[in-house]
Amino acid sequence: MIAFVRLAVFGFIAMTIMYVLLSIYSRSVERERLEKEWDAERGGGESDARDAYIEAGMKTYEKSLRAKLIWLVYVVPTLAVLVLIYLTN
Amino acid sequence: MKYAKWTILTLLALTVIGFFHYTLPQHDIVRVVNTYQERQDLNDWTRIFWSSPDDQSGTLVNRDVQFIQTVKANGKPMVYRNEDTSWSWPPYFKFDTANLQTEAEDLKSTAAAPQWVSVTHYGWRIVYFSAFPNAISIKPVDGPDATIIPWFNIFFFVFLAVILLVLRRMWLQFRERSIDPVLEDMGEAWDGVEDRADAAAGRARGVWGRFRAWLGTWKGKPRP
Repeated sequence: MIAFVRLAVFGFIAMTIMYVLLSIYSRSVERERLEKEWDAERGGGESDARDAYIEAGMKTYEKSLRAKLIWLVYVVPTLAVLVLIYLTN
Repeated sequence: MKYAKWTILTLLALTVIGFFHYTLPQHDIVRVVNTYQERQDLNDWTRIFWSSPDDQSGTLVNRDVQFIQTVKANGKPMVYRNEDTSWSWPPYFKFDTANLQTEAEDLKSTAAAPQWVSVTHYGWRIVYFSAFPNAISIKPVDGPDATIIPWFNIFFFVFLAVILLVLRRMWLQFRERSIDPVLEDMGEAWDGVEDRADAAAGRARGVWGRFRAWLGTWKGKPRP
């Protein structure tokens, strides 16, 4: 039982690290996309309107399917372990 | 220095390859001839070649281990241990040792009427350390030349490559968005320092410098 707890704890830690890294990366890519979109349509430069546009875009992103798909980081390894257990035994 | 670098890189590569070669599943086509059970001493460093099937077994000095004796198509013997891996490393989640032993017993055959089987296993047979590969599953095949496609290993290495590429992409994105701007700021700050230094040098040129510059204006221009 201790071995199972150990696997669960370390697995959870590893999946959490991966989740955090992936969500930071995905947010960064989305922010870059929004910045480039604004710059392409209305020229570059810093302005309050640009900041507001990007913040609004990020709010939409947080609710998007892509942001939620990162939760698969927790789901897929757990399913993989269950499938392995079934296939091995 | 060059040799040191290559030695370290080679050792590193060998360690990684060795790790995967030991841990990932492989398939042998063999003929089961017998199974047995033997008490094993587990109190020295060769402990790393045995499993820890349950929590108690980690502290035991010796315990019984089941073995499967087989012969390969080329006539060479191969002996597998048959142990649970449970929830421990490597992550095969094998709990059905007793069942596997029964299947192996059922598939026993003689050289005269061979029943070839594919044994999935991990680990190495090292006779000098009495190390045995751990059998994971056993299934009958048509003959000694049966082809087995290592689907799991293909999938595993593709998945590993994807993970490494994603991590690389993450690092590049992080560098582009978080490190480079800071470096640029530092570069700009440095440029500012240089400009001020130039201005200070200009001032230091002083009266004499300006006089020489004025003299320079009297020099004849090169004629075309």
